[in-house]
Amino acid sequence: MRYKDELIRSMEWLGKKENTMFIGQAMSYSGHTISSTLEKVPVEKKYELPVLEELQMGMSTGLALEGYVPITCYPRFDFFILTLNQTINHLDKMQVMSNGEMKPRVIIRVAVGAKEPLNGGVQHTQNHTDAIRSMLTEINLVVLDEPEQIFEEFQKAYERDDSKSTILVEYSKHYGK
Amino acid sequence: MIRIPNKLERVRDVDLTPKELIDFESRIKEQYETGNIPSPIHLSKNNEGELIQIFEYIDKDDWVFCSWRNHYHALLHGIPEDKLYNDIMDGRSMSTNSKEHNFYASSIVGGIIPLAVGTALGAKMKFSDKKVWCFIGDMTFETGIFYEAYKYVKNFDLPLQFVVEDNNLSVHTPTDIAWNRKEISVPDDVVYYKYENGYPHHGTGMWVNF
Repeated sequence: MRYKDELIRSMEWLGKKENTMFIGQAMSYSGHTISSTLEKVPVEKKYELPVLEELQMGMSTGLALEGYVPITCYPRFDFFILTLNQTINHLDKMQVMSNGEMKPRVIIRVAVGAKEPLNGGVQHTQNHTDAIRSMLTEINLVVLDEPEQIFEEFQKAYERDDSKSTILVEYSKHYGK
Repeated sequence: MIRIPNKLERVRDVDLTPKELIDFESRIKEQYETGNIPSPIHLSKNNEGELIQIFEYIDKDDWVFCSWRNHYHALLHGIPEDKLYNDIMDGRSMSTNSKEHNFYASSIVGGIIPLAVGTALGAKMKFSDKKVWCFIGDMTFETGIFYEAYKYVKNFDLPLQFVVEDNNLSVHTPTDIAWNRKEISVPDDVVYYKYENGYPHHGTGMWVNF
């Protein structure tokens, strides 16, 4: 069982769901590690965005309010932290702010950039998992350390009864294993 | 002064009068000053006519996104007065949100804009007739996130209508002074009106002992 293969299998499974869409930069083009895991996702499910991280997260929440389950992708944690206004102030607080009426389900993929064989440097390889976890109240956060976890966690993120959103942190360095 | 783009179509009559809106805020003011509301409130006044006119263009099924000052918007979009009143009394003046009524308010400047863009994209993808209305203040209008979103909405022809409510204030800071702005340049396809709010940014202007 390989890490990247499990990501591909999970995305293929999610891609077969009627209400999912894959949103971010380099969804339909090559560009980063996450792009390479979408090869079995139907092209019509991929929604290519400009570089606008915060807007992307808010758009993902808005899509979820309209009944979609967006899989919103951030290829590096360093880029993901640009979304914090939408992630922490809105998506994470929406159930409380709507007295439980609004339960947008967003599946958030965040990759920690690899340092080998090329070191992306301090702006491309940070892992802010602990900091983000400490800020969350509603959103679930899962770290994908092992290939065995991957499919099960994506399945859970899509099917969980409480409709909570999930951040799934993955490691680009594991893609070759 | 109000400007509504010609492309918009009036879709309904609004059954609330300016007096009913003013009276509602007066009830909230009274409760706040009595110390019965455990959270900040942001009251509206002097923009009743403009909002009634704008909501004649907003279908009850449309989405409405707005800010912390949202009581008028909530009433005009069909949230029952009793529900709104109870929400405010429970300390939710700034988030009188309702999924049933497609209504979302946020207290973060500009925070509603990305949500509105995504909701409009979702509506368009579903070939829905639903529109999305996003009410922002004149300081929010000047932020980068507005321009990013405005460009995206325009380029992809999303069913999102921005409304700029200009009281030339951000809390108590005049927007034109903070930006050294000589005049506001709101695009022609954005609804725009200017008014002078009859209440302070939050509260009623009276010190309240809780």
